[in-house]
Amino acid sequence: MVDTLLLFSDIVYGLLLGCIFSVMALGLNLIWGVIKIVNIAHGEFIMLGAYSAYFLNLFFNINPIISALLNTIFGLGLGLIFYFALIHKELRNKETITLQDEMVTLVATFGLSLFLSTLALLLFSGNSVGINWSIGSIYVGFLYIPLGALYVAITSLFIIYFVHIFLTKTYLGNAIRAYSQDIIATQLIGANPTKIAAIATSIGIALTMLSGSLLTVWIPVGINPYMGSLYAPISFVIVVMGGKGKMWGSLVGGLIMGVIIDTAQIFIPPTLAYAIAFLILIPILLISKEGILK
Amino acid sequence: MRLTVSFYFLIGILFYISITPFIFSFSQTTLILDLLIFAALAYSINFITGMTGYVSFGHVFFMAVGSYTLVYMSKVFNLYPLFTIPLVGLIGALFAFVIGYITLRFRGVYFALSTLVIALASYYIVLVIPALGANEGLIFNVRFEPLIWFYTIFSIVALEAIITYFINHSRTGYAIRAIKDDEDAAIALGINSMRIKLILFIISGTFGALAGGVFAWSTAHVYPTEIFDLQFSLQMLAMILIGGMGTVFGPFIGAAIVYLLTYYLITILPNGQLIIIGLAVILVALFVPMGIVGSLRNKIKQIKQVVE
Repeated sequence: MVDTLLLFSDIVYGLLLGCIFSVMALGLNLIWGVIKIVNIAHGEFIMLGAYSAYFLNLFFNINPIISALLNTIFGLGLGLIFYFALIHKELRNKETITLQDEMVTLVATFGLSLFLSTLALLLFSGNSVGINWSIGSIYVGFLYIPLGALYVAITSLFIIYFVHIFLTKTYLGNAIRAYSQDIIATQLIGANPTKIAAIATSIGIALTMLSGSLLTVWIPVGINPYMGSLYAPISFVIVVMGGKGKMWGSLVGGLIMGVIIDTAQIFIPPTLAYAIAFLILIPILLISKEGILK
Repeated sequence: MRLTVSFYFLIGILFYISITPFIFSFSQTTLILDLLIFAALAYSINFITGMTGYVSFGHVFFMAVGSYTLVYMSKVFNLYPLFTIPLVGLIGALFAFVIGYITLRFRGVYFALSTLVIALASYYIVLVIPALGANEGLIFNVRFEPLIWFYTIFSIVALEAIITYFINHSRTGYAIRAIKDDEDAAIALGINSMRIKLILFIISGTFGALAGGVFAWSTAHVYPTEIFDLQFSLQMLAMILIGGMGTVFGPFIGAAIVYLLTYYLITILPNGQLIIIGLAVILVALFVPMGIVGSLRNKIKQIKQVVE
């Protein structure tokens, strides 16, 4: 018989972790939903975000939440480079993206993912590092909640809300949403499609790197060049679960994923929990490609 | 079916490779052995990704299946590894059938993602199976017999190349190219695309497993972190991309380029060879998507006869 208290606390931790997963998936979802391209190197951008948080903490003693904001700036820059180096050529002057273009970008971003993880391996070595950010914990009722995890979860929710406001209330946000629906119509209202696609991509990468920074709170000794291969599949599953292009789908999907991974570890070894979390993708795809959270 | 010039060209090359152990020195022969393992992997992914355009990121999974089957059978039942080869192929085919039956329903990016998560998930699953050595892998005793390894992998590559040739020149070859160009149109023409894709995927998985088996046999071990490393998937994709997707000679040319690149870079920049290969994949995918054979075929008419 599993302890109810243990189960309950794992659900709470799962929800806290799920908030970060949501931001992580949002970065992927924005790129996938708007320019219809899947970034296979998603996990490596998370890894870069985590390393950048680690080095900012090591040299300047900056905590993960502040470094998340700095990461956003790095991410915007890297995102622009990523867009113009890898994606722009396939999207230029096209109204719809064909399977052939999709294949080219898939393979190219897969190449990028191995390129970045090997580069990280050479520069930072394969040893796992981590940030020691202990600011105590609070005692709620009967379980301890680490304050770091709580602050990070709140930050994540704020970011998701902020992105939501940006996409629905500002001119640029509306243009991005218009682009995701109909590229020609976007041109008709006088918006430059290349500019919109580039901005959407760089915001996506910025969110991804930011989530990498927030994630460091949960992995005290888990920043290594291979971490991308763990978090990228999780993000893919979340986006597919919530439906691509649907922001709230990513939020709910992220929370569900966090709870699944955390509670499954009570019953089975952690590695098996991750395997199950990854494989959820296939039944979801068999049910519907537009996501199962409506 | 009328055999073209390229068939005799292919047979000539295969014959030349088959006598290399008697021409070259011992160390050069082991180099060619490794090259042939790469080529076997390249031909194996060529059947599905090269021919139909379905990108399989998880092809390393079949390699791992083959390695584990060969090592497990030879170790536990004390069989001579060569006798386990038919079983390795069978298990590979079985896994390919099950996985293909489910994932080939998804197109484009969804297929790529499902193969990727299957490869990653199977790695985490193997880590908790004690019979497969969990996270330590399996080691077994093999006699050092490079000539037998050489001719086993050579037969696999030769078979793959000849099957590729006959598929490309058969009626089914046209159907496969139709599927690659426009699957909906192909289905409308009455092509049973699911069956064709599944058969190709099974061929692909079988040969992937066979190549993985010989790889484990020649290295006398199978370690989960090594065998499930996605770099093998990248290298396989790199080989057919550089060589030319779906062609008869492309995978071999690509394998030679990627292998020699890896071989020389590993001494200059240990672990760094993937940086160069990753970059090469990005550049080739974006700028030369047809690969070497594909581009040459379109540019020069005379070559077309030899490579088609």
